[in-house]
Amino acid sequence: MPETRRSFLKQSVATVAAVSATGCAPDGESSRRTGDLSADDPGAGPAPLPAPTLRAVAEAVLPEELGAEGRERAVTAFERWSDGLEPVAELSHPYLVPETRYSGPDPRPGWAAQLQGLEKECRARHGTNLADLDVAGRRQLLARGVGQAGPGLGSAANANHIAVALMAHFFASPVATDMCYRRTIAKQQCRGLEGAPAEPEVLAARTNGAPSEGRRGALTIATGAAP
Amino acid sequence: MTRVIESDVCIIGAGITSAMVAERLAERTGASITIVEAGGRTASLAERTHTRARMLAYGENPYPNDHIPDQTGTGEMYRQMVVGGSAMHWGGAIPRYSPEDFRLQSLYGLGFDWPITFDDLEPYYQEAEERIGAAGEQGPPDCDPRSRPYPMPPLPLSYNLARMREWTDRAEVPFWTQPWARNTEPYRGRNVCQRCDTCAVCPTGAKYTPDFALDQLLTAGRIDLIPRTLVRRLALEPGTDRIAVAEAVNRDAPDEPVEFRAGTFVIAGGHAWSSHLLLLSANSRFPDGLANRTGNVGRYMTGHWFVSGYIDLPMRLYPGIFVNNSLLSHRFASPGPLDRYVRHDIRLWESDVGRAPRLRNGDGSLLWGDEIMADWRERTESGATARIRAYYDVLPDRDSRLTLDGTNTNVLGDPMPRIDYRPDPTTLDLEDHTHTTILGRFEHLARTAGGSIMSTRSSRLYEHPGGGCRMGDDPATSVVDRWGRTHDHENLFVVGAPTIVSSGCANGTLTFCALSLMSAEEIGKGFDRT
Repeated sequence: MPETRRSFLKQSVATVAAVSATGCAPDGESSRRTGDLSADDPGAGPAPLPAPTLRAVAEAVLPEELGAEGRERAVTAFERWSDGLEPVAELSHPYLVPETRYSGPDPRPGWAAQLQGLEKECRARHGTNLADLDVAGRRQLLARGVGQAGPGLGSAANANHIAVALMAHFFASPVATDMCYRRTIAKQQCRGLEGAPAEPEVLAARTNGAPSEGRRGALTIATGAAP
Repeated sequence: MTRVIESDVCIIGAGITSAMVAERLAERTGASITIVEAGGRTASLAERTHTRARMLAYGENPYPNDHIPDQTGTGEMYRQMVVGGSAMHWGGAIPRYSPEDFRLQSLYGLGFDWPITFDDLEPYYQEAEERIGAAGEQGPPDCDPRSRPYPMPPLPLSYNLARMREWTDRAEVPFWTQPWARNTEPYRGRNVCQRCDTCAVCPTGAKYTPDFALDQLLTAGRIDLIPRTLVRRLALEPGTDRIAVAEAVNRDAPDEPVEFRAGTFVIAGGHAWSSHLLLLSANSRFPDGLANRTGNVGRYMTGHWFVSGYIDLPMRLYPGIFVNNSLLSHRFASPGPLDRYVRHDIRLWESDVGRAPRLRNGDGSLLWGDEIMADWRERTESGATARIRAYYDVLPDRDSRLTLDGTNTNVLGDPMPRIDYRPDPTTLDLEDHTHTTILGRFEHLARTAGGSIMSTRSSRLYEHPGGGCRMGDDPATSVVDRWGRTHDHENLFVVGAPTIVSSGCANGTLTFCALSLMSAEEIGKGFDRT
């Protein structure tokens, strides 16, 4: 892909996504209220995701068994990942395909707009912030935005909705795999060869949400966070 | 002004076969060696921890600048053009071809015999395994012959693969650990595998990549490596058929031509770019391209196809323990006498297909956090998934071709390669029989486990490709002799993938390396031993 097209996608499609991926475009009032957005400063790069709303969404869409601490770890990991995301980045070459592939345009403006839209809609419908709405109510609001997504979770970067992105990011993590199997599998972490033949150890109680430790530990590289 | 670089041996391309040739020549002769590479350098070992993390997080290419934007062909070919070649990205599977692969015509009355046998190549297989650092175990000797043990013990079977091998033992199909170019012991200054499970980019250096060997040769002062320099054509000595010069361009200074002058030239450009350079080098003496007096350059392009599937197993496994190890069987690649021809390998991996977390359940209902986890657990606790694949050989057709594509040129105006693969009609006649046989074996395995086939598919992607400069004793039907020397030019060799006659039922890289070492032995005869 020519550099000019790549630059164009980076700069312009992100703007389109911010408006089209949600029914509610960002507004100055909400950005001032949250104090997290830089929507009024077009030169400042992608708007950060409003932290309180993101956490209110996480409480509704991540497993309850994570607990508050584990959920906060998951959200923080997602934020770091989001901060490190490079739109229209060169992707790994598929096998025996001579063309170069690139990732999609920046999804973050759209996600930020969705979070703002959720707060606005929540106030309009329920007269309260999203964080103060019960989980069932939040899910009702989120379901409309999620729309026809699925059946798979897909990759977080390709998610059209922030709720799906958050879930996709968490459920792809080694933490989620260990939680599912209730075993210390520590997938894709540098674990040494010695432990491979053994059945993975039963996950210790109350470690949900904590990063898996490689058996040797020295080369553990946590996934899910931006490098 | 033209820059002239002289050496005894000029190797064009800096991938794995180039590294093999250069290393052997450097060790055993006093020849001066220059390697020319069109691509540049990519992520060093020190940088791979970071690029690996970004690949995991974002799917990004862990090898930045590993290709040249305008150097792009059409058809199935690798994107990489970089110091280290496509073996920077490889997973490192290094099975040997089977003895039958070299004698298809004699044994089965179809395809072609190679001018060499498995036994001729066996010492070079061993040497390649030692240079690369192979970790493996021998299967049953009648279908996995070898004269000496692997240099390193195999990768350990994970808990998952050990359970799967118990199952395949019950099915009476012998499986053993896939041999890998990954260290299970410290080897040649490189680390032991740490089971990071991202072998496309290994952050520890346990996986062999050619840059390690090239860097050692550079440090020892045994080679000159000229990157970012594209060889555009080879030119003859006036009035002879000897190659005199490789004409190139420095990609950082396109107005400055570079000439490589050498006594011996070795094309190590892989399956696509080797034939391409010969065709580009046409002149009045060889109007159809160098080494192409009989019109065979770019022909008999080959690879193998596969049938794959997923098997539902009634056992508890834990996907993620070690995805990048697998079980391998060559039993059906060495089948003995056959009523009707079919040969293939089989390999098995752990998998989470059908058992990954999902946003909607079977009836399409949207799931949230705990519901996703519960749905996921239910599917992982009810059984496990095995991925299965069988590569089978495709007999190459003479019109399976690489040609120059005048509609697709690089910035210099040179036409790029176009590959139009075509199977021999016999392969098409046998295709249904092949698929039926393979699927029957998948079914047998599934039934033995008390499981079932979840899904299957077949692919006509020409995997592990080669050909285009195939070897042979008869110049009328081949481009190079058994040593890789072109029939038409006594000081020009082509090594590795382009020279294969057929592509067997297994990954090709080890065979390409072994063939290159065999060529290096012949090339080295022209020089004093050190």
